[in-house]
This record gives sequence, structure tokens and C-alpha cells, in this order.
Amino acid sequence: MVNPIYILILFLAAGFLLTLIDKGGRKLSLTVFYGILSFNVFVIGEWFYQLTFLDASTLIINTAGFSAPLSINLQLGIQESFVLLFANLTALLSGIYLFKKFKETHISGLILYLIMIMGVNSLVMTRDLFNMFVFLEIVSISTFALITLTETRKSLSAGFKYMIAGGIASTFFLLGVTFVYYFTGNLNLEFIHLSNFTNLGLISVFLLAIAVFIELKPFPANGWALDVYEAVDSGIVSVIAVVNSAAIFFVFYKIMPLLPQNFLNIFGIAGVVTFFFSNLMGLKQKNAKRLLGYSSIGQIGLLVASLIFTMHSPNSLIYLIVGGFFVNHLIAKAGLFWIAGIVKKENLKDWNVLKNNKPLLVLFGVLLFALSGFPPFAGFWAKWEFIKILVHGKMFFVIGAVLLGSLFEVIFLFRWFTLSIKSDEKAENKEFSLEFSKIFPTTIFAGITILISVIIMKFFYGFNWLHALPILAVLVLHVLDFLPSKIKGFLSLAAVLAYGYFLYPFESNIQLFFGVIFILGSAINIISTLNREGKSEGFYGLLLMMIFSFGNLIIATTYLEFFLSWEFMTISSFLLILRGKKAQKASLMYLIFSTAGAYLLMVGFSFAPDLISNSALILSITNVHLPIISIIMLAIGFMIKSGSLGVHIWLPEAHAEAESDVSPFISAILLKAGVFGLLMIAISYIKNTPSLDIFYWIGWIGVLTAIVGAFLASFQEDAKRLLAYSSMSQVGYIIASIAILSHLGWLSAMYLSFNHMMFKSALFIAIAGIYYRTHTRTMYEMGGLIKKMPLSFISVLILIIAVSGVPPLSGFGSKWLVYSAFITKGWYLQAGVLFFASAVSFLYLYRLIHTIFLGQLKYEHQEVKEAPLWFIIPQYIFIIGIMAFSMFPNLIIQPLNSIAMRYFDSSIIIDGYTISSSLGYWNGNMIMMVTMGVFIVPLIFLILFNGKMQKVKQFNIVYAAERPESPQTTHVAHNMYAHYRKALGGWGKPRIWNFWHESSEWSHSLAGFFRQLYTGNGQTYILHIIIYIVVIYFILGV
Amino acid sequence: MNIWIKILYAVISVSVATIYGLTLAGIVRKIYARVHGRYGPPVWQPFLDIIKNHGKRVSISHGIMYFLGPVFRLAGGLGTYLFIPVIFGSVVFSNFSVAGDLLLVMYFIFFGQLGMALGAGEGGHPYSPIGIARGLSQMTAFEVPFSLAVIAIAIQYNTLDITTIVAAQQGSILNWTLFTNPLAVIAAMISLLGMNMHSPFSIVLAPQEIPIGPPIEMNSSFLATLQTNRGLFTAAKLVLFMNLFFGGATNLPIMIVKTFLIYMFSVFVGASFPRFRPEQSMRFFLKWPTLIGIASIILVAYF
Repeated sequence: MVNPIYILILFLAAGFLLTLIDKGGRKLSLTVFYGILSFNVFVIGEWFYQLTFLDASTLIINTAGFSAPLSINLQLGIQESFVLLFANLTALLSGIYLFKKFKETHISGLILYLIMIMGVNSLVMTRDLFNMFVFLEIVSISTFALITLTETRKSLSAGFKYMIAGGIASTFFLLGVTFVYYFTGNLNLEFIHLSNFTNLGLISVFLLAIAVFIELKPFPANGWALDVYEAVDSGIVSVIAVVNSAAIFFVFYKIMPLLPQNFLNIFGIAGVVTFFFSNLMGLKQKNAKRLLGYSSIGQIGLLVASLIFTMHSPNSLIYLIVGGFFVNHLIAKAGLFWIAGIVKKENLKDWNVLKNNKPLLVLFGVLLFALSGFPPFAGFWAKWEFIKILVHGKMFFVIGAVLLGSLFEVIFLFRWFTLSIKSDEKAENKEFSLEFSKIFPTTIFAGITILISVIIMKFFYGFNWLHALPILAVLVLHVLDFLPSKIKGFLSLAAVLAYGYFLYPFESNIQLFFGVIFILGSAINIISTLNREGKSEGFYGLLLMMIFSFGNLIIATTYLEFFLSWEFMTISSFLLILRGKKAQKASLMYLIFSTAGAYLLMVGFSFAPDLISNSALILSITNVHLPIISIIMLAIGFMIKSGSLGVHIWLPEAHAEAESDVSPFISAILLKAGVFGLLMIAISYIKNTPSLDIFYWIGWIGVLTAIVGAFLASFQEDAKRLLAYSSMSQVGYIIASIAILSHLGWLSAMYLSFNHMMFKSALFIAIAGIYYRTHTRTMYEMGGLIKKMPLSFISVLILIIAVSGVPPLSGFGSKWLVYSAFITKGWYLQAGVLFFASAVSFLYLYRLIHTIFLGQLKYEHQEVKEAPLWFIIPQYIFIIGIMAFSMFPNLIIQPLNSIAMRYFDSSIIIDGYTISSSLGYWNGNMIMMVTMGVFIVPLIFLILFNGKMQKVKQFNIVYAAERPESPQTTHVAHNMYAHYRKALGGWGKPRIWNFWHESSEWSHSLAGFFRQLYTGNGQTYILHIIIYIVVIYFILGV
Repeated sequence: MNIWIKILYAVISVSVATIYGLTLAGIVRKIYARVHGRYGPPVWQPFLDIIKNHGKRVSISHGIMYFLGPVFRLAGGLGTYLFIPVIFGSVVFSNFSVAGDLLLVMYFIFFGQLGMALGAGEGGHPYSPIGIARGLSQMTAFEVPFSLAVIAIAIQYNTLDITTIVAAQQGSILNWTLFTNPLAVIAAMISLLGMNMHSPFSIVLAPQEIPIGPPIEMNSSFLATLQTNRGLFTAAKLVLFMNLFFGGATNLPIMIVKTFLIYMFSVFVGASFPRFRPEQSMRFFLKWPTLIGIASIILVAYF
């Protein structure tokens, strides 16, 4: 193995010789240049391999033949080699990225670059404080010089600010070094310990620490860094933001043992504050590189915080958390800076040029997801474990700041992502050049990100292929993307059925029940996607990813497995929604709410005690006593996903703007994932009831969701929004029924879930068919389609009867169960509200069917045909199901009864087709018979005794002695319930929407306010740094 | 019991109720006429109307759903009636009440309304959906006090079985829900005003605004079917109220007397008050009757 001291020697030698070598042509000097950088990576890589896998001992190099403290010593252990490997790899790849620039620039550019990398290597390895100072200076100066290589006014001024800030930091560092020597008589880290310092002596450590900390760009003393990120060439920025930061971060790590605990805590909190505020301010940022700058600074803050707060944890966890954040940040950030350099668009809105470049878009997406901490990337696991440690340490303030900060980060990063895909903004220059030298490093990094994910999943957590199935599905379908859509559709259908068959012998009936909803329901819904033409690139991969994550939810055995599948579900559904034509805002809103919900779940699970059995979570949770805080967090998290009142505003947008064959999945199946989660915590709750009756309040929320959703649905003009609000309302019933915590309640909840899955899938598919033919979702633009689309009409007719709860269809069963459950529980007023909600549902159901199918046919729809067969088939499969369960309710009631009996004593008696509770009874079969009887008698009578019938068209009417002029003026559809709106008066205002809108406005204003700190004036920035140091000094009370 | 005998009983029961309901309608027309200062048509006029409409030579249809609208409507009336036990202790008038309890009856009321609304919708006349929109909206509003009252009596009698509710009111007039739970009865009676759609809640048919609204395009046998249902459905609603709140009936004359008196409440209010605007009607139901309904629940449940 090569002694790492040669790295330094080689760099120095090259630094001096390059000028000479360049005389032989740039090709030669570039060869040497890249040779050295590659050699470097190779050497460190080998050391890393030896140290990690072959248990080589840490290497200590004594220079000049003396041992420390007489000489400077370097150390290369696992940590050093890890940091250096990634730093050097980034340096090499950045070098390649800058190939074109290096080809043209003055030779000094190459030299400076090498010197800087050498500085970084030494900084990481050296154990001597003064030596650290020297290399800090070397890095600073060479960086400054590199910054000014970009010869713009902006970059010159940024370089100057960088120089001043670095100068101040160095001054303090040097002072610190002096004091350390004064107090301990030594400068070698091996020989200095915290105990060497008197109280007064702590000032010296403070000076060291604050100097390094300033270099780590804490908020608000970091304006200089932002200007650098914005102004300088992407290749160089990625080195500054990633390589330099990594080295300085490691320096901080090295001096940490000198700092007393209270110092560390303050620095940790300063890190969290930086993370929070950087991300907050990022919200307001429109410039891509500056945005990445904010994110970068924030990530470094998080890195420092995670390092300090996990100090006392087991080593393997520290590696996962700090290492995870480190690698994640390093790779994703460098990659994104590179992409920013390729796209060369400052304004985020102009990034839609990416739309036309799929490979680059995929890279961009992978890196963004990694940076935001989504699975399967390293940041996800790090965050999960980090939050767990914070929860155990009861650091709630830190948790709040970290999660809120992360949420802000997700918001601005994905606003950027969605804009890149969906922005309508016309970019001036559609084309951008794709150079191999620039794409290559980016691809390598994206590949490494994925590789690390695999390593963590496989070796750290021991996950198997089933857990990774959602991701594998995307990859496989990506390979098959060249196939026509129909073939992929059939393949997906087969895959889903096979997956269901594979899972089939579930451990328990409750899993089987949700398996039917999630997997069988999805399978039937896939049929409607077979209508797609062309290739539908990427669609089926995401769809399968979503369906497999649903399935994995039910078989998850640990919190982490559950949460992993949950996040896969979020990602896939987000990307599916984003495929909608105008879905930019809708999908973003969905992602924001889902992420917030996911964070709550993460905290909730962290509070939960360990599981003791290996069964599926939904079973083993029975024996877990969840603390009250955990239940609250989890409940809110799950209720966000199911669109409960207050957090529902994502729901109508997402449902409406998703492609029309995606909406059935979102509404009929995705919402049930929230129901599944809520049921899961309720199972734990009933066995270990805590003092606070949370479910009473959840019950109220459910009930209010039902009524508000119903009203909102009634006031929509868009058919899909109407159905979306209807889903919200129906899921409100389900949530309220779960919250009853009784046998009847859960029976109702499951019955409702099943029913809702069937009728809402079919309704959305029906609307999809209509949209396919009429190209509109606005109901008042349709009308009179009954004769054109009779099959769709019959389907919608049966479905709305099923939704409304009118006997004899299965909906009545759910109403009967729900009211019986509520009244026997003693929730009388809640039952009253549900009656109201159920009556209001008639308003929107009638509106749906009337404005589309009845009334006047519009001229433009004279030639409209019936919906395609692929839409009709799944609808009628569901309808057959509904009819069967209406006629023979036992088919569904009996199994559900046995599931609910696992948790409660049965409260119903099933006798033949009669189902009776303590309150009343209901015989679905007899109701069906009587209804058919009373229907057929008048029908036959009317057919027989009606006079000579003359058929006329709808338009053949007269009113006020006048023949109406056109269908448009005669179809009563727009604002159909205006009188009700009037009657509701002030109750009809969109208060919740306003609340979230205001929250968003406020956080953006706040971001704008804090951003004013960064005036761009160097002197102000210096003032910030000085004030910052003074303030920290006083807080620490040194 | 033999199914055919059951059906025979059902036919008898339905015929009696229809004839009674239509006669009642005739009487009410007479009363309104007198209030308006006219002599009014003979009491049997509703029967004549039905016969006349059936006798029309031509019937105009706007389509299949239009055709089925009146069928749905009458089926709704028939079903609602047939799921209610009409006379306590009578085998002939027990109908098919074993199929379900009060919740079934409440929801079956919607069956006819929904079907009729669809049929009227295909008629294509703009007044139909206007009337329907008003009717559905008003229905959501009066359903609130009514359902609160139903919940109150469910708490009181601990059942939703109509026969049991009637049985519990036997013995003395003081056992009637009217006296044991007056607030619930008040709430329910106010919502009955809405259900019967007499003034001030006659916003659906509203002759001067949207000339009879939903059935505006209905003619010949279609109209006759609707008119038949009007008699039957009124009788069904009145019997339901009698059973829930006024001690039920043990024989036909008592049923006739009680339901007549219950109906007169709507008629008197209808003859005395002018029509609300739609939003006034909805606000009315969602205010005082709702509060009374809530009060009745609180009273029964917690005191």
C-alpha cells in the first residue's frame, strides 16, 4: 500500500512542476493532473478498503523522523479514509467536470486546484493544531484564487467576501492555537485533553471551535458563503460546498474532544438553528444555485448537530447517521451543482428545459430525492435513526426544528422539481449542450447514491427483495419501457395478481381484508389503464411501486418496514399525480402534506416501545403499549393521508389533477392506507387504554370531515373534485367509525372501506371514460349524455345509489351499521351530524348524475360515443360485486364480523339474512326482494296501461310560452345549489384553505424578512461574523 | 306464513292506504279552497284526476329514465309504506316490517325521491332540476331535526324497531312519545311540515315560480302514477309519525283519526303562512328545530 504522505508530496511536486510540464502542451499537463487526482482516489480507496474490511490498524505517520509532539504527525483511520475517499472522489469528478475549463484556462488554475485538494487531504489527516492552521490558510487562499478564476464582477466580489470571512476565522483560529499552547504547552491533539484546561483556559478552545464553526457557515453569519455559491462556476462550487466543507467539518470533529459538553450542546443547537433558518429562507429563493447554497449550508448545520447529539450512541449508529448525512449531502449536493451547471438556467421556472431530456431528469430526480431524505437513500435511514435518538434524549425542540427545516427543504426542492417537469414558462433557449465530461461525474454520483442505498438496506438492516420490490418494479419496468403500453399493462396486472398470490396465506383475516382492498382492488383498477395508447413511459413502474408498497404495508413486521413502505407509497403516488397535465401545484401540495404526515409518523414510531414478536405489525401492535404522544402523532400522520378535516386541502387538488385513470387508485385505495394505519393504532389503544380519550376527539374530527366534505362536494363544478370531496366525506365516516372502538363500529368501518373501494373506483373510472370522450371535467359543459353513453349512465346510477345508502343496495348496510354503532356507543350528536352528512350527499350525487347525463345535450356532444370498453369492464366488475353484496350481505358481513370479533365481543346476531343488533335489524335479501317487487309492479302496469307513447327529445319542451333557444341556456347545472350557499352564509367560507394559504404566505414573508440580513455588503457580513462570535461567547459564558 | 297470503295482505294494506291517502288529499283541497274563499272540487277529485290521466290517448316520453322516474317514485311510496307496520297487532297491516327497522324506512323514503329526480331530469325542462335542487336542499335541512328526534326516541326506547316503539306507548295516552318526550315530537313535527311541503315550505312545487317544478313535463299515465303515489306516500308518512310519536293505532278507525289530525297540523300551518324563499326555509330548519332536537337528545340521554 502506498503511504499517504506521497499524496502530499506528489501534489506539491506536481504543483511546482505543472508550469514546466505545461510547456509540453496542455494535453500533457492535463494527463498529469488527472493522473494525480485518480492516483489519490486509488490510494485512499485502498486504505479505506484495508481499514474497513481487512481490519488494518490506524496508520500514524510521523514526519521528519521524529515522533509527535516534536514533529507533525498525520493519522489515517477509518474515519479519515472515509471522509477523504469521498472528498477526493468528488475532487476528481469535479475535475473531470471542469475539463473544458481546465483546457482553456491558465495553468495556474490546475495548480491551484491541486494545492487546494492537497490542503484538504492534509487538513483531514493532520493531528497538529498549528499545522491545521497552515492548511486552513492554504485551502482558503487557493479557494479564493479559484473563485476569482470565474471572471465576473459577481464572483470577484464573492471571492473578496470569502477572503475576508476566511481571514477572520483564521485570525481567531491562530489566537486559539496560541492560547492552547500557552495553557497546555502542546499543540498536538494526541497530547491535549479537556482536563488540561482551567476555566480560563477554555477561552482557547472556544476560539478554536468558533473559528472552525464560522467556516462551517452558521446562520446568520454566512452571507459570504451564499454569494460564493451563487456566483461561482458550478464545478468549483461543488468543490467548495462539498470537499472543503467536508474537510472543515472533519476538523471540527477532531477538536470536539477538547470541548466541554455545554459548548457542544450550544454548537449542536447552532447547527440546528442554521438548518432551520437556511431552509426557511430557501423557500423564497428563485435562483437555482443560491437555492442549493441554502440547502448546502443547512445540511452542514444538520451534520454538525447530528454529530454532537449522537455522540453517546453506539458506533454503528453514529456511522449510519453522521456517515449517512455526510455522504448523502456530499453526493447529492455535488451532483445537483453539476446539473445546475449543465442546465445553466438561473431561474427555477426556466428549468422546464429538463422536460426534454429524460436521462438528465432522472439524475436530477434521484439526487433530489436523496437530498430530501426519501428512501431508499442514505439520508432517509440517517434521519430515521437520528430522530429516534433525539426522541430518547427528549430533545423536542431539536426534533421540531429538524423536521420543520426538512419540510421546508422538501418544499423548495420539490417546487423546483415539479416546476422543471410542469412549468409552462417558455425558456428562451430550449437547448443546452450535453457534454460527456459533465454528465459522466453526475451519473457516477447518482450511481453511488443508489449503491449506498443498497448497501444500507441489505447489510445494515438486512432487508430482502420483498422490501425492495417497489423499487425493483420501477427498475424492471424502466427496462421494459420500450414496450407498448398495453403489454406493460397486462404484465403489471399479472405482476399484481402474482404478488397477491405470493402474499396470499396471510397471518390473519384483517390482513386478508386489506389485502383484498389494496391488491385485488388495484388489480381491477389496472384494467382501466389498459385504455392507454402509446408507451406511457414510466407510468406502470410507478403504479406497481405504489401497489407493492400498499401490499408491503400489510405484511410489515417492524415500524421501520412499515414506514419504508409508507414512504415508497408517498413517492410513487406523488410521481403518479405529477403526471397529470396541470398537476404541478396539486402534486406539490400532496407531497408537502404527506411529508409532514410522514415526519409525524416517524416521531410517533420513535416514541413507541419495541416490538416483541415477529408477526406483522398489525398483529404484534396488540401487545404494544403506545404512549399517548405517540398515538397523537401517528393518528395525525394517518389522518393527513386519509384527508381528514383541517389537513384535507391536498385531497381535492391531487384527485382532480391526477390523470383520470390514476385518480381511482388515489381515492379508492390510497386513502385506505391511512385507514389501515389508524386501525392499527386503535388496535393497540383498545388493549392498553391510556387515560386520555383521544379517539373521542378523532371521532368528532371524522364526523365533521364527513359533513364538511359532503357540503364541499355539493358546491363543485368539476366532476373529479366533486368525487374527491365525496371521498373525503366517506373516509370521514370510516374514521369516525374506527374511533367508536366497538365491534359494531369496526364492522361499519371495514364494511364502509370495502364498499367505498368498490363504488369510488368505479365512479372515478366512469368519469375517466366520460372525460376521455368529452375532454372536459366541468359538469355544466356536459349534459344529456344518457343516450350517448347508456352503459356509463347505468353504472353511475347504480353507484350513486350505493353511495347514498338508499336501499336495497349495499350502501344501506353501511348506513344501518354506522347509525347502530353510533347510537349504541352513546355518540348521539355525532350520529345526528352523520345523518345530516348523509342527506347532504344526495345533493352532490344528484348533481353528478344530472349535470352529466340528464338535462340538455350540448351541440358539441352530438357525436359522442360510449366510453371505451377498458373503462366499462372494471366498472361492471365492481357493480357485480356491489349487487352481490347487496343481495347477500352475509358474504361480507360474516367475515368482517369474525375479524372484528378478534378485538371485541360480537354485538350482532346473524340469522339467515337477518342481521340484528341490540337496536334493530335488517334483512338485505328481503329488502332486495320487496324492492324488486314494488318496482316491477308499477313498471308492468305503466307499460301495459300507458296510452300510445310518443318519444320526443329532451329539447322538445316549452316554458313561459317560449321554445328555449339553445341547450346551453336550458341546462340547469352551473352553481346548482346557489340557494344553499346563500343559506349557509358565513359558514360557507373556505376557512381552512385560508388558514393554510396564510401559513404559507407567512412563512414566505418570514423567509423574506430574514433574507434581508444578506445585503450583499462585505462589511455587513463581517459585522455578522463578529456579532455572532460575541453572542456565542456570551451564551457559552466562557 | 305462505308468501302468497303475505302478498295478498300487502295488496289489501296498500289499497286501503292509497284510497285513504287520496281521500285525504281531496279533503285537504277542499279545506284550502274554503280558506281561499272558493267552494273547491269534490272530495273524490284526486281519483277523477288519476282516471282521467290514465285515459289520455297520447303519452309523451323523453326517454327511458324519464319513463322509469314515476315507477321509481311509486315504488318508493310502496316500499316505504310496506316496511312500516301500520296497525299494531294486526296481521294484515303488519306489511313487510320484518325486513328492517326505522332506519330502513327513513332511507327508503329517498328511493322514490332519487328516482323521480332522475326521471324528471331527463325531461329536460329547466324547472325540473330547479325544483329538485330546492327539494333536495330542503330535504337535507328538515332531515336534521327529524333524525335528531329519531335518535332521541331510539335512546328513549332503546330500539329502532317500530313495532317495539309502538308497543312501548300502549296502555295510556300518557305513554305516548308526545308526552314522554315532547321536545323530540316538536322537532319531528316541524320537520313534518317540510316533508309535506305545504306552505311555508312549498318551495319545490312553487306554482307561481317554477310551475310545479320536478313533474312539469309529466303527463298521462306518468302523471297518474305520481298522483297515486302522492296519496300512498302521504299516508305512509303519517302512519310513521303516528307510530313513532302518537301511540300508534290498534285498529283502522283510530289510525284514520290520528293520521288525519296529524295531517291537519301541516294543513293549518300551510293555510296560514306564506311561502319562504329557499334559503329561508333551509335556515329555518337548521336553527330552532335543530336546537330543539339536540335539546331532546340531551334531555333523554343525560337526565
